[in-house]
Amino acid sequence: MVSKNVVRASTPMVRSPWVWGSSALVVVGLVAWFYELEHGLAVTGMRDVVSWGLYIITFAFLIGLAAGGLVVSASAEVFHIEALRPLSRLGVLTAAIFSAAGGLMIIPDLGKPFRILNLFLYPNWTSPLEWDVTIITIYFLFSATELYYMVRHPDHKRLFKVLAYIALPLAVLLHSITAILFGLQFARVWWNIALLPPMFVASAIVSGTALIVVIAWILQKYHGVTIPSSTWRWLAGLMAVSLAIDLFFVGCDYVTILWDNIPTDRAVLALVLPGGRFQFTFWFEWVVGGLIPFVVLASSKLRSKIGYVVASAVLILVGVYAFRIELIVPGFINPLIQLPPGIALGTFTPGASPFQLVGHYSPTIVEYLIVVGLLCLTALAIAWGYHAFRVGESIESEVPHVKSS
Amino acid sequence: MGCWTCAVGCKAINDEPLGYWWNRILTTEPNGSAQVATSASPAIDVPHGVFPNLELAYLPVACQHCNNAPCQKVCPVGATFRREDGVILIDYERCIGCRYCLAACPYGVRIFNWGPGERVPDFIIGYGEDYRTEGRLVFEPVRPMGVMEKCTLCVERIDVGEEPFCVAVCPVGARVFGDLNDPQSEVSTLINEEGASQLLAQLGTDPNIYYLPVRHPDKVSE
Repeated sequence: MVSKNVVRASTPMVRSPWVWGSSALVVVGLVAWFYELEHGLAVTGMRDVVSWGLYIITFAFLIGLAAGGLVVSASAEVFHIEALRPLSRLGVLTAAIFSAAGGLMIIPDLGKPFRILNLFLYPNWTSPLEWDVTIITIYFLFSATELYYMVRHPDHKRLFKVLAYIALPLAVLLHSITAILFGLQFARVWWNIALLPPMFVASAIVSGTALIVVIAWILQKYHGVTIPSSTWRWLAGLMAVSLAIDLFFVGCDYVTILWDNIPTDRAVLALVLPGGRFQFTFWFEWVVGGLIPFVVLASSKLRSKIGYVVASAVLILVGVYAFRIELIVPGFINPLIQLPPGIALGTFTPGASPFQLVGHYSPTIVEYLIVVGLLCLTALAIAWGYHAFRVGESIESEVPHVKSS
Repeated sequence: MGCWTCAVGCKAINDEPLGYWWNRILTTEPNGSAQVATSASPAIDVPHGVFPNLELAYLPVACQHCNNAPCQKVCPVGATFRREDGVILIDYERCIGCRYCLAACPYGVRIFNWGPGERVPDFIIGYGEDYRTEGRLVFEPVRPMGVMEKCTLCVERIDVGEEPFCVAVCPVGARVFGDLNDPQSEVSTLINEEGASQLLAQLGTDPNIYYLPVRHPDKVSE
């Protein structure tokens, strides 16, 4: 069934100012990357103490969003949630594009990006990074294939049922392995907890759902696609529950560290809690992206207004990004052996010490431009995919028959 | 005694650029735990403790050449590898510069080539040649931008029967190099007789670098 809305949605994208603006930022990001290739990673704020920064934070964030997309899409099938069915194709589309974007985010972080094929030529299977690269590749191919079949054979219900049962564990695995990449490193006490994979999976579900909410709202507002109210209710509920579970896990970790008095653990937590150097991550994670959206989504009165649900989703995305910052940067600040003069930085600035006892990191303009460029490219890819894979049409055709509770 | 001769010698023979230190001499207390969250002092050569009970010791730290090396386990492309004799090396032709090994190393001894590297003087003063072992490029005088580097245990020297340069230049013979598999070797004897310890032994990395205890701490007297 092709409605007039879909016809309107397929007007050429090139006319919108946001498309021009985003494309310009993609070009700026590319220029920044060429500059980085020419001068090395010395143009970033990263050094030998805090050796991963904005790129890896954004990488973990994008992979989380990719995992969330497939969870929403597969849940409709696996748990028979009719209200989420209209968003199946949109979920798979975000899964495919965000996993690709996450993979791309790694490239500017590499010192030798043109050797990236070594990952496939000389794999070392004891490395969680090798597993992560593999699962991201499989995940992207899986979502792209499912998307292809959804467009070509939309009536093949049995196939999508089988795919959904594969997709759900795959999505959990994707973000678990990304968590394990950090969680296995005993040199970083802040990461080295068994709770990290469930924490990442919960944050993936909450942020992925929030992303779907934001995209669905844009479609409804600017493309005339009608999202049923039962779908909005389900999305709001899913966000509230997964947000609570996510913060519960993070809280469990805080309590474990607060109760004991292990200096290395306490030193990191002190950075994050109110009064610490990274307290902004605490406020964004727990209040701006935690308490406020949770109260809105838990109140049946407030969550019935779509505007509030969308605002909560945006706050949740901010909060989950803050969680990624909170995990990655403070994990590097205090090296395990913290004795003077500290760790050699790997670069030299006249007049400044070449050593750092306590890590410092602030991203440079080059890092911001590359990240913004990639995010704009991702948004453009979603817009392109929306038209190419006729997502609007799929939403209209899947209006639920049974009203779910 | 904290003179940094080994660190400077290392810098010279390996042509380490400004801001690179494969070998560092940390200030600590005698037989203290290496793991200190909040350091007693941010500066080197400052004794630990409260006057008059002041203590001072030096901990030279370079790559520990672990038998169970986390850097080697996390390297996705096998660029960091362990040679049969226990030396951990980096293949500069294979490293993709992901810096996962830097996150995995508990000793903070790896140094990344963030930029092209600035050398003073800007000509080669050290070993000066490429060196390959098992066919892999493990030393070159100027390492390319974007790869990881660290102590090689002077692989080009030990392969021809010489000592690592830090051992050779130490003015007081504080460093000893030898074969741990040979129970009669000087290193084995010292470790057995004096009860040497490994750095952060509780992590199970099983380093091949051992530290002898400080047996006669000098007391500061009034």
